[in-house]
Formats: sequence, structure tokens, C-alpha cells
Amino acid sequence: MNNDLYIKESNEIFDAIVVGSGISGGWAAKELCERGLKTLMIERGRVVEHKKDYIGEGVPPWKEPYRSKVNNLVTEQQAIQKQCYAFTDNTKHFFGNDRDLPYQTAEGTTFSWIRGNQLGGKSLTWHRQSYRLSDHDFSANKLDGFGNDWPIRYKDLAPWYSHVERHAGISGEAAGLPQLPDSEFQPPFEMTAPEIAIKASIEKYYPDRHLIMGRMAHLTEPSELHISQGRVNCQTRDECQKGCSFGAYFSTQSSTLPAAAQTGNLHIAPNSVVHSLIYDEKTRRVKGVKVIDNNDLSEREYLGKVVFLCASTIGSAQVMLNSKSKAFPNGIANSSGVLGHYLMDHNYNARIEGDIPGFENEYYRGRRPGGLLIPNFQYEPSRYSKNYVRGYSFSGDASREDWRSGQERDGFGADFKAKLSRAGKWRFGMTAQGEMLPRFENQVALHSTMKDKWGIPQLEFNCRWSDNEKLMMEDAAEVGRKMFIKVGLENVTAEATERPPGIAIHELGTARMGRDPKTSVLNSFNQCHDVDNLFVTDGSSFSSSATQNPSLTFMALTARAVDYAVKEIKAGRI
Amino acid sequence: MSDQEIGDQSSPDDNSKRRFLLGLSRLVGAAAAAQLLAGNAISTALAYTPNPDSISHAGKIFSQAEMVLLRDICALVIPKTGTAGAAEVDTHGFIDSQLYHCYPPKDQQKVSAVLSKINQIALQRYKQHFSGTTNAQQLELLTDLEKPANGFDGTDKSQFKFLKGQIVFGYYTSEVGASQELEYLVVPGPFKGSIPYDSLGKTWGSMNRYF
Repeated sequence: MNNDLYIKESNEIFDAIVVGSGISGGWAAKELCERGLKTLMIERGRVVEHKKDYIGEGVPPWKEPYRSKVNNLVTEQQAIQKQCYAFTDNTKHFFGNDRDLPYQTAEGTTFSWIRGNQLGGKSLTWHRQSYRLSDHDFSANKLDGFGNDWPIRYKDLAPWYSHVERHAGISGEAAGLPQLPDSEFQPPFEMTAPEIAIKASIEKYYPDRHLIMGRMAHLTEPSELHISQGRVNCQTRDECQKGCSFGAYFSTQSSTLPAAAQTGNLHIAPNSVVHSLIYDEKTRRVKGVKVIDNNDLSEREYLGKVVFLCASTIGSAQVMLNSKSKAFPNGIANSSGVLGHYLMDHNYNARIEGDIPGFENEYYRGRRPGGLLIPNFQYEPSRYSKNYVRGYSFSGDASREDWRSGQERDGFGADFKAKLSRAGKWRFGMTAQGEMLPRFENQVALHSTMKDKWGIPQLEFNCRWSDNEKLMMEDAAEVGRKMFIKVGLENVTAEATERPPGIAIHELGTARMGRDPKTSVLNSFNQCHDVDNLFVTDGSSFSSSATQNPSLTFMALTARAVDYAVKEIKAGRI
Repeated sequence: MSDQEIGDQSSPDDNSKRRFLLGLSRLVGAAAAAQLLAGNAISTALAYTPNPDSISHAGKIFSQAEMVLLRDICALVIPKTGTAGAAEVDTHGFIDSQLYHCYPPKDQQKVSAVLSKINQIALQRYKQHFSGTTNAQQLELLTDLEKPANGFDGTDKSQFKFLKGQIVFGYYTSEVGASQELEYLVVPGPFKGSIPYDSLGKTWGSMNRYF
């Protein structure tokens, strides 16, 4: 990366502006730059350089200030961020400071909003699980009547899934499942011996359930392209969220940014908090963005011919809602009135655990960066449970106990020490990942009076689980419990919990796609129905949540939207 | 850069790093592999440094007498065996620092309270401060604490569990605990789903998460 990559002031009219630098923004920038468009990527936070700024990477615990725990002062400042499983002393700098990033929740509701405001966004800290949606997912809304119909089907996205998978690098095993189409795979990670045994047992007793190795954006057999980018195969450190100098997992820094920068068409404006989009009432187009400086709070503008909004599901909604004009008094491209509504997350509120008898001389080497998956087996209306609609997947793994699970046991001395140092029982645990229905009532809106330090109205969330989600989690806990017992696990515990929406960090659906401009914000190419040169390609575009981790679909939708936009530009229609 | 130049130091990290680089160099060339790790900042300045002398003065939370008591308890919970124990690696000093920086006052008070209770029972039973009693008396007393019985109650036991968790955490995240008592792998390479446990005979000290 060279220094003139980063800009601050500019009078240039860029061919394209991309707001956001996470998974969606990185892909938008790469695809736009590779098609020859002079592109400006706008990032609200600081620059994070690949390798150099991964300050928590590879540091052993005894060289860390608090052995990976976070000190009191910092947890006070990051009271919400610390709810994320990946928040430790080594990763805290890739999460926001909650004191600077206030938001409100409607009375009686809670929403955990996890932030990654830096170059690369949450692509640095994501869990890297990568799954295609299937036609069952794209047609679910239409078939059971909840939500609006997606304006696309699997065949529309399939080639774009392949396109992004080859570049990003996805490990996994082809399973031929109708509810979870196969990707372009690098070899899967290995299962452990008990996992192989449990897989066989589950698939024997439950012909409709499959236990597969998780599909992850990790290189296991890098291609020439990956190696040319300085990326090598995963070394199974499982320290991913600290940043990975091997470039073994997909992030903006490891994968899309170098590709975009290589074209010479990319500029990046860091520390630029987008206040709003500038709408030209005469041309009925967006002509640029108004930005507040992250540090000195000064104001500036960037101009461009087409804008890709990739600021995250919540972030993009905030920018759009705050972009008011005579034509759009309630937010740009919001003639439908659905902007900010139909907010979804995934529901992880059922957990099942049990002991695996035997396998005393089995162990593993390395820290596999992800676990196993039982894909949704209630993927079409005829398979729904009788009390609720849609379904859930299970994800989890087997591992052997170590000192972490024995630290409060009774005993002293050499025996106690020897017990802690030896491997304990094998344990198997799985968490349900449930679909959340798109409901108008679940929304994020601008607060009427409160603003943040950049003078931007704060967001107010009003989002809660419906009975459908609660019944699903109760059922998942019970179904899981029975399954664990059936396959021979012991001391099985199953629990339905009540963690609030947001903490899955799979926010979706605030600017949904649809065929009808009266009930949706975006058309089938993520283009605003109301504004031809404005595209929104992050999670806000989802019409339903499905059960799959959504990031791979962000990538495919973004690449497809860029391809369409550039063709429209060349045809003179944008 | 030759292979010798890449790794001529001998700490466990460097050895692992060197082995990794040698393996990787067959794939992408030694220079590229070395460059891959070259940009990393290593932060060591702020880490708690084990201090052989931490019982000679008061800590951030605990008095000097409490530090001595804490050290003796560390030695009883995780003693020196083939490897150093919790007292040798200054787990007591670490706990004083860790509780001060990372835990609220109510957790700090749990430890102060149970230390005080232990001393109080020692004085009643043996007419000595805990540290003045014999090893057998100390073990008997702590065993009663975990029951709980003979003067100790459920509150004492739960406070002691908290302290014990700190001792175990402090020991197994220390350099000795993680890399000598256990096996520390900086860069494991490809994941192997099945190895004979007997070939290792202990768990991995290198983890994705320590808590």
C-alpha cells in the first residue's frame, strides 16, 4: 500500500463511492476498481494495516498485561462490546468505544449493537462461517406468507457465490444438501474421532439430519492467486480476531483490499464519518456524501457518480434515514416507508451439552478455527414443526476438558496439579441458530432529539423476539436434548436462554429487497427503487434471515450488484 | 535471508516460529515467509512480570502478611513437582495485580475475606498464624474449608473457589504453566483431528481463549 492511497480533501468526482470497508465494502471496491472505475472507499474509523496493526497477534498469555483479560477501565468504556465472545485484551481495539457510540432502545427492549469501526470493519473479527442460501431460503417468505418475496432465486446468485468463493477461499466438504448448496471448496478441516462417531450415529437415527464440517473462509489449499496475495494456508492458531499475518482467513485486508489497490483505481478516505448522502432533486440522483471528520469534527464532502452503501445493516439504515430532502423527508429512497423496518438477527438461544463416553486415547493437534454444523432440517413448510414456522441449524463441536473446566474442583497438591494438567472427558456441545422472522414492528429509527458527538441523530432500536422465535428455541433445546441422548451422550443438559437480539451480530433487513417499490427499498440488483445510482449491498438488503451465517451472501450480492451497475453505467442508464 | 538467520534464538516461541517458517518456506520461499511475520508488533512492556520478592512488601490490594499467606496457599494448591509450582512463578503477585486491574472491589473482597478467615481458624485451632503451622496442619485446614466443616461455612467455601480459580488461571497462563507443565504450540500447522493422547500425556497450554 502506498501513501497516496489515503486521502482527506478531494475535489475529484469519483466514478464510484463505497461507504464502508468491511466485507461488503471491500468487495464493492474490488469489483468496481477491477472494472476500471476510479473508486473512493470511505471508512469512518482509523486505518488498520495488514500485519503491522495486528498488535495482539501471536503474544503468549504471560506476555500480555492481564493474561488476555480486559482491565476494568476498558470494560467500562466497552460495556456492550464486551458481550461479544471475541472481545479480549487482544482484540478490543477492533471493537468500538461505547461511550463514543451511544444508541437508545425502546422501553422494555434490549439490543446489543457490536461495532467494528475501522478499516476492514468486522471482516477482521468475524467468525468466518460461510454458507450459501438455497432456493428454500429465497422462497420461504412467499411460501409461508411471512415477509415479502425475495426478488431473486438461487440461480441468480449461484455464479456470484462461485466468483467470490474462489477469491476468498472457502474450506468445506461437498454434501449435496438441498437446503445448503455446496460452494467452490478448498479441503475441509478434519473432524476428531468422537465427532466422526457422533456424525455416523446422528445420520443413522435421523435420516433428515446431517452433521457436516463447518464451511469457513480459511485457506486449506491456497491457489496461485492466494499465494500471490501473500496468503498461505491456515495454521490453526484460532486467534483469528487478533488479525492474521498469514492472511489465512478472508478479510478486507487479506483479500479484497490488495486486489482493489493493485488496480491503481482505489483511494481510501479514513476517519470520515458519513453524515448523509447528498441528493440532487433535479437529477434525482445521489451526487456524493457529506462527511464529518472522525477526529476534529470538521465537515467535508466527497462527490461520485454512483454510490455503494456498505456501512452495515444498521449503519446503512442510519445514513439513509439521516439523508433527508424535499423528495425524501423520511430518508432517502424511502418512499415505501419500510426503511429501518424488518430488522432481523439470528437467534442463538438454545444450548445443549453432554459428555462423550470413551475415546480416552484420542486427542487433536492444532486449534481448529471453527466447528461442525447440522444444517436446518425444517427448511420447507412441509417440514416445519407444528408450533412455529421456519427452522434452525445447530453448530458446535467436541473437545476434551482441560484446566479451564477443572479450576474450581476440590483438592490440593501434586494430585490436583496432575489432574488439571491431564486431559479430561470429551464433551460435545451445540448451539441452535434460529431464523428470525421479518416483522414490521422490529425497527431502528432516528431518535427525535439525541445526537452523537458527530452531530448525527442517535439510533433508537425497537426490536424483540416474537413468540415464533421463543417457541423455536424451546423446541430446539428439547430436540437437541433428545438427539444427544439418542446418540449416547451422557449427563446431557439443554437450556433455552433469553439473550437479546443483536448479539449474534447478524443484523439484517433494514432496507429490504423486493419486487414492489411500495413495500421494499431495493430491487433485485440491490439498487434503490427510488434512486438509480444508489446501491445498498450489505445485510440491510435481506428479505429474510434464513439460518445461515450471512456474510458469504453479502459478498455475492455485492459482486453481482457491481456487475449490474457497471453495465448500467456503460449503457448510459445510470 | 538464510534459514539460520531466521531463527537463532531458543525460546519456545522462536523455535516454533522457526519450525513453521522452515515448513512454510518450502511452499512460498524463505524470504516471503520471513516477511510474513516481520510486521508484527510484540507487546511485552506492560505484562505482569513475575517477581521473586513479592512477599517482601504489600501489594496493590493485599498487605504484606496477606501476600505471604497467599503465597503459602498457592504452594499448597499447585506445588512444585517436575515443574515449578504456583508459588515459584509468583502466582500470588499476579493475583494481586490481576484482581486490582480486572475485577471489581467485591471480588477483591472475597479473597481478603477468605484469607482473613483462614488465619482466624488457624489461630483458634493451632494458636499460630497459618504460615506458622505445619504443612499437614495447613492441608487439614484447607481441606476443611472445601468441605466446608469445622468452622468454615458455605460463604468461605465459595470465596475460596473464586481464589482457587485465580490460582489455577494464574499458573496455567504463566510461562511455566503453559509451556512446561503443558505443551505450548504457537503455530500448530494443519489441524490433525486424531493423535494418540498418550503421545502427549498432557493438554495443550496454547489456547484460543484462556477464560
